[in-house]
Amino acid sequence: MKHSRVATFALGLVLVFALAGTCLAAQKDKGQVVVYNWSEYIPQDVLDDFTKETGIKVVYSTFESNEAMYAKVKLLRGKSYDLVVPSGYFVDLLRRDKLIQKIDKSRLSNAMHLDPKLMNLEFDPDNTYSIPYMWGVLGLAYNSKYVPKGSLTRWEQLLKPEYKGKLILTDDLRDAFGLALRAKGHSVNSKDPAQIKEGFDFLTRLKNSVRVFDVTAIKQALISEEVWIGPIWNGDYLVAREENENLEYIFPEEGAIPWVDSFTIPVGAENVDNAYAFINYMLRPEIAVRCIKEYKYSSPNLKAVEMLPAEMQNNPILVPGPKELKNAEFITGIGEALDLYEKYWEQVKTAQ
Amino acid sequence: MRASAGGGASLFRAFSIGSTWLWLGAFALLPTLALLLVSLLDRGETDFFIPVLTVKNYQELFSPVFLTVLWDSVRLAILSTLVCLLIGYPFAYRIARASAKWRPWLLLLVIIPFWTNSLIRTYALILIIGAQGMLNKALLGLGLIAAPLEMMYTDFAVFIGLSYTLLPFMVLPLYASIEKLDTRLLDAAKDLGAGSLRSFWHITLPLTLPGIVAGCMLVFLPSLGMFYVPEILGGAKNLLLGTFIKNQFLVANNWPLGAAASSVMTILLVIMAALYRLSSLRVAGRDHKGLLSGGPEELNGRSPRRPSGAGPSMPQAARKAGGL
Amino acid sequence: MPRLLKRLYLWLVYAFFYVPLLVVFIYSFNSNKYTTNWGEFSLRWYETLLGNSALLDAALNSLMVAVCAATLATVLGTLTALSLKRYRFSGRQAMYGGIFLLTVSPDIVMGISLLIMFIALKMELGFLTLLIAHTSLCAPFVAVTVLARLAEFDEHLIEAARDLGASEARAFRHVLLPLTFPAVAAGWLLSFTLSMDDVLISTFTTGPAFEVLPVKIYSMVKLGVKPDVNALSAVMFLLTLTLVLLAQAINQTRRK
Repeated sequence: MKHSRVATFALGLVLVFALAGTCLAAQKDKGQVVVYNWSEYIPQDVLDDFTKETGIKVVYSTFESNEAMYAKVKLLRGKSYDLVVPSGYFVDLLRRDKLIQKIDKSRLSNAMHLDPKLMNLEFDPDNTYSIPYMWGVLGLAYNSKYVPKGSLTRWEQLLKPEYKGKLILTDDLRDAFGLALRAKGHSVNSKDPAQIKEGFDFLTRLKNSVRVFDVTAIKQALISEEVWIGPIWNGDYLVAREENENLEYIFPEEGAIPWVDSFTIPVGAENVDNAYAFINYMLRPEIAVRCIKEYKYSSPNLKAVEMLPAEMQNNPILVPGPKELKNAEFITGIGEALDLYEKYWEQVKTAQ
Repeated sequence: MRASAGGGASLFRAFSIGSTWLWLGAFALLPTLALLLVSLLDRGETDFFIPVLTVKNYQELFSPVFLTVLWDSVRLAILSTLVCLLIGYPFAYRIARASAKWRPWLLLLVIIPFWTNSLIRTYALILIIGAQGMLNKALLGLGLIAAPLEMMYTDFAVFIGLSYTLLPFMVLPLYASIEKLDTRLLDAAKDLGAGSLRSFWHITLPLTLPGIVAGCMLVFLPSLGMFYVPEILGGAKNLLLGTFIKNQFLVANNWPLGAAASSVMTILLVIMAALYRLSSLRVAGRDHKGLLSGGPEELNGRSPRRPSGAGPSMPQAARKAGGL
Repeated sequence: MPRLLKRLYLWLVYAFFYVPLLVVFIYSFNSNKYTTNWGEFSLRWYETLLGNSALLDAALNSLMVAVCAATLATVLGTLTALSLKRYRFSGRQAMYGGIFLLTVSPDIVMGISLLIMFIALKMELGFLTLLIAHTSLCAPFVAVTVLARLAEFDEHLIEAARDLGASEARAFRHVLLPLTFPAVAAGWLLSFTLSMDDVLISTFTTGPAFEVLPVKIYSMVKLGVKPDVNALSAVMFLLTLTLVLLAQAINQTRRK
């Protein structure tokens, strides 16, 4: 009796380690691609179909902010991931830290579908290191139940006293400063301390109206009517609209803030071939269409946009045109000036 | 007996003691020293820390920004601890005084919620206290309020979340020390004419003090570090210590500053541990050789920080520990 | 009347514990995706769950780490408890103190110090680092649980076994281990749950190649948990509950 108990225990131990061993061995298997991406950005069935087609397993890992992504890639010294999807100027930061590798475009036959207007941007001239996946803009969503339609057209109006405690504000420093600087009539990439100070003053005043700071839960807070107004990405808004039809969207007159998220391959990627296969798969127009339909972001894939149903193609929120993008300005790297932004942002966050 | 132990015995003895030391040294002491060391280093351009000794991280902790963070966190943690104590004490008392047949089951009921992921339970709170949550719907339905109460994204929500997650850590040590309490003392007090309040104040409270201190420790310290509760329920309007520390490592790339803030928490821990030691010394009145000697013995089953995994035997273990 | 009031209080606190769980359970049958509004009764999230390989993978990884870490921690913690109970050696008080501090030390500090050490040693974050971290997290709790059981243990039994010629290891296997078995089992279960539920330490000590459930859920929670996570929680909860109640019932009948 006692013997058998000990024996069972020993057997259990052996089993456990055998199990662990096999699982670890499975991880060494080269038939996979480790993707590090924003949460809710690629539909699960698109990933499944890739695996079905190629036999390459997709390990999908997510982040909530560019800063967190950057810290993690740095922490892992560019290893572990095969594909990372940073936004705009973070491509530049990763490149400077030598954390991502050059991309051989000749291996991406589907890159020809990409919109030239979204290529060759300042953060990565000639797209040496990055291939655009999706793009979008930061505009303003509001709940027409509480905010009359047409009464909100500008960033600067967020300071109206009646919105006190009814606002959600992005927790992304550059986005927050971007809209503040725009409201004050400056560039979102201003390096002028006096202008940055103006932006800071705007945000300090705005904080009185803010109920929540968040990047990822904006959609959720607007749907559940915890807040009335919030700066939100166009895709997130369209998804939220499906669950709460009172939500409206505007491109603020001072200029909405556009962004592009791009595929990059870290220097330490172990499955580079699989990463290329995955990017090329994602660039296929019919696959891009499925991603657009699920997450409602704008696509740089011109062919895919053409394949969308007419009502989607003509939706200016999904496919913003020159009118919507008037005054819009991409966020770019600002070098040393970032320290000043960070210092002010900390003060905004801890102000009472 | 041990002096005459044979080769096999001393080998086993050496193995047991050796493996424990190896573990404590390699995975507890070494990381703690590394933490303290990094808190004294400078942050590098591309490296997380560079070997330049400095105290500037600690100086930075005296900046108004960090002091606000610290004050907000400590205030919230103290409040949560107090609420847990106020709710938990009578609750643990009731369980400890229930019939022996029911006690294991009542304790099991405290532990069962832990089998569900704590994040899921935190999220469940949103479904309850949100603007369109169940509570607001019920109150609106009953006509008690005209507009939804704003409970989400407030200190109140964080506070509910922390109390909810940490209450069992208060209840279990309290239970163990209350159950251990000799009821004859209370009877004697009653015979001598002491009112129930008086005997509670002079007998029950002092004798269950170690349980109270242990419970408070197990609620206070984790509530400083649990970044996910304030992040999910609090709306990040006030930066709290847990988030602050996490951000230094996983967002801002300022490891030395994060390490310095963590060291502050370690110091708080040591202070509280010493308090616990003092309180149990006073109660036990036994002969103690050194600081913290017999610590775990006294902690036996009394303060399983997370009672979650306790499983079937946990109530018995706790009961036994209580009856030591 | 006061008696009734006392009972009422007891059940009110239990309600506080259980209402949120009930809510999770109910919402796992809600057809709506993001809203807290009730759509209609639906099993669609249980179907989605079966197709969500990423989530199931993470659950499996969690399970694997939990089993391995709990087993290692049980071995280590039991050895620690035995050393503390049975032997007198220099540094014993320090060992007590160390174990005590570990049981109360905040997770976030533990996670960060281990992260710093792993990075300084240039270890790759993944299964191994997570296993080390979780073992280190759980072992003190096993030690404390086993010590509680050993406190009642009569040292003479071992001496008798030794007098009869049993080696120390044999005496351990045939006398000590069976006697402490309930506590060892409890320690294992405690460790298992600690590991399954840990968010803070896992956040810092695991890498992308090895995602575990709590970390995965953390990245989902703010977006509004999809009801398939609710479904997963409901399934896991019911499974463990059944196991625990079964074990408890068996335990009770055996005692009688």
